[in-house]
Amino acid sequence: MPMKTHSLTPPACPMNRDDTAVTPPPGSWRLSWTLGGRDHSMLIERRACFACLGLLAVLLAVCLLSLCLGSVALSPRQALAGLFGHGEPMSVFVVQELRLVRLAAGVATGAAFSLSGCLMQTLARNRLATPGIVGIDNGATAFAVASVVGLGTSLAPPPMALAGAATATAITFALANDVGTRGYRFIVTGIGVGAVFGALTQLLMARVAIDTANAAYPWTVGSLNARDGTALTWLWCGLAIGLLAACYLSRAMRVLRFSDAVAQGLGYRVRGCRYLALVVSVALAALAVAVAGPVGLVGLIGPEIARQLSSHRGISLIASALSGAIIMVASDLVGRLLLAPIEVPVGIVTAIVGSPFLLWILLRPAPRFQS
Amino acid sequence: MSSFAATNSVTPSNAASATVSPLIARQLSLSYGRNSARRTVIEGLDLELPAGQVTAIVGPNGCGKSTLLASLARLHVPHRGTVLLDGRDIQRLPARDMAQRLALLPQETHAPEGLTAAELIRFGRQPHQSLFKQWSREDRRVVDEALTAADLHELADRPLDAMSGGQRQRAWIAMAIAQQTPLLLLDEPTSALDLGHQLEVFELIRDLAASGKTLAMVVHDLVSACRFADYLVAMRDGKIVAAGKPSEVVTAELVRDLYGVECTLMLDPATGSPLLTNIRSTRHSR
Repeated sequence: MPMKTHSLTPPACPMNRDDTAVTPPPGSWRLSWTLGGRDHSMLIERRACFACLGLLAVLLAVCLLSLCLGSVALSPRQALAGLFGHGEPMSVFVVQELRLVRLAAGVATGAAFSLSGCLMQTLARNRLATPGIVGIDNGATAFAVASVVGLGTSLAPPPMALAGAATATAITFALANDVGTRGYRFIVTGIGVGAVFGALTQLLMARVAIDTANAAYPWTVGSLNARDGTALTWLWCGLAIGLLAACYLSRAMRVLRFSDAVAQGLGYRVRGCRYLALVVSVALAALAVAVAGPVGLVGLIGPEIARQLSSHRGISLIASALSGAIIMVASDLVGRLLLAPIEVPVGIVTAIVGSPFLLWILLRPAPRFQS
Repeated sequence: MSSFAATNSVTPSNAASATVSPLIARQLSLSYGRNSARRTVIEGLDLELPAGQVTAIVGPNGCGKSTLLASLARLHVPHRGTVLLDGRDIQRLPARDMAQRLALLPQETHAPEGLTAAELIRFGRQPHQSLFKQWSREDRRVVDEALTAADLHELADRPLDAMSGGQRQRAWIAMAIAQQTPLLLLDEPTSALDLGHQLEVFELIRDLAASGKTLAMVVHDLVSACRFADYLVAMRDGKIVAAGKPSEVVTAELVRDLYGVECTLMLDPATGSPLLTNIRSTRHSR
């Protein structure tokens, strides 16, 4: 920039100009490279980086466990052999046909719910503002159930879930008038809207034949058993786009934690960033609901774990996605094993763990975003 | 761009008459709500901030001074009129461009838990950074300078929530300094501070003006405004009732007009700035 009017003091130590290395802020690494004659640099938070690597390792371990355990127990070696298609036909079948798809669904839904939750929490500056709590999951579920029970529509669950989530969000916004500046108003309105959609789902279930209601049941509690191939493909595509958008947004989200005035003062198009983050958050939640039903509590717990592990400097979007995936896969594993051969739906497992957690957040004296 | 060069070369005393103002409001009308529910706060206001000086905007509660400042910083979109930053309409200026020319210290400042002063100040470099240009030698140097200017070197790594109000406010101003803008707007920078901490902040503001920045602040206290500003803008009911050098515009009539308060005006023997003495309410005497 050509304007440098500010020079209160001469540079603190002139030798710095000749230094080849630029000292990064404490706690981070600086990557730098030159491309086309221009200097580029990126800062990487050391702690966030370690947190992500640790979470990734845990996720891989949980995934491996999930491939091994079940009504047919496999050793890790057998499971890995089955995964890559060279092993006994039995283990290949169990791993590739039965467990892998379910695992893929678990990882994707967990990551999507959690990333979605983290985005919305940052947006509303409130830890309670997750799609599960503000009724977006319920909206998506009601519409998806309507599609399953064949209520005069031939649309598949994913687009219906998207439409439902968008409807719930639109209604909440129209009633709450704003997001962010009036965080609690938004949340309370969302809870009300969610209750209405929840009732709507129950009504739909009550009015159809028992077989259809049975088919639609997993949607209402959240289960990885009823996953649908097309919906899963939609979700993975959505998750890829969502992660890219999250990387793009992460700098803006860091600044949005202060206040809109500060973020705008620092040169961000606050409205644009808010809308983009909101759309990504709602779409991810909807696509995940289309696969696994409303397992929304993952969106509350995942970001919280990520936040505890990472530093206060950044928004832990990637770490949130990873911890969400871990929670989902682990909960599904517990649900499958706990009362085997009966399967406890993953939504019930997360609810049992998640509800006390929700209480703890509500009762804890100082919420993090309201300092 | 050339106006900045000119800005810097002029001494503050004759700056107002000699140079073009970097921030001009023309026929500005500001309101809340829309259509039938519209409540107009300011109607047809004209204002030019004198370059290189400290402008204080004063007035009673609800006179529209904070709304005016918000619209100068593009936080509030006017329903009529324009704000010109270096001759360009701020509504058409890209957000980043604007953040490189004008910094804002809002009244409500809360930071994420655990954030240290140095980390906060680093955020001030955002308008000069991008995804692949996150930390340059220039960034490092400027952050260091901002720490020096706000005298925060020893406190650089202390969390903001463990600082005194004055130190915290200095850290926020240092963030605005790190933004390296020729213009700085402050909304009640001393509102929650005691006397000593107020002085810390006002002295920092004077230092910044001495280094060539143009500043404007909304201030509650008329006496501090007189003492620390070069140019006083007094507002009532969304209109500017007086503007000029504090010693020239502040009169007992103006004080009565603004606040409904009777007083006797004295000049501070040490600094020559107006002081209000023998203050009493006019409403009471009626």
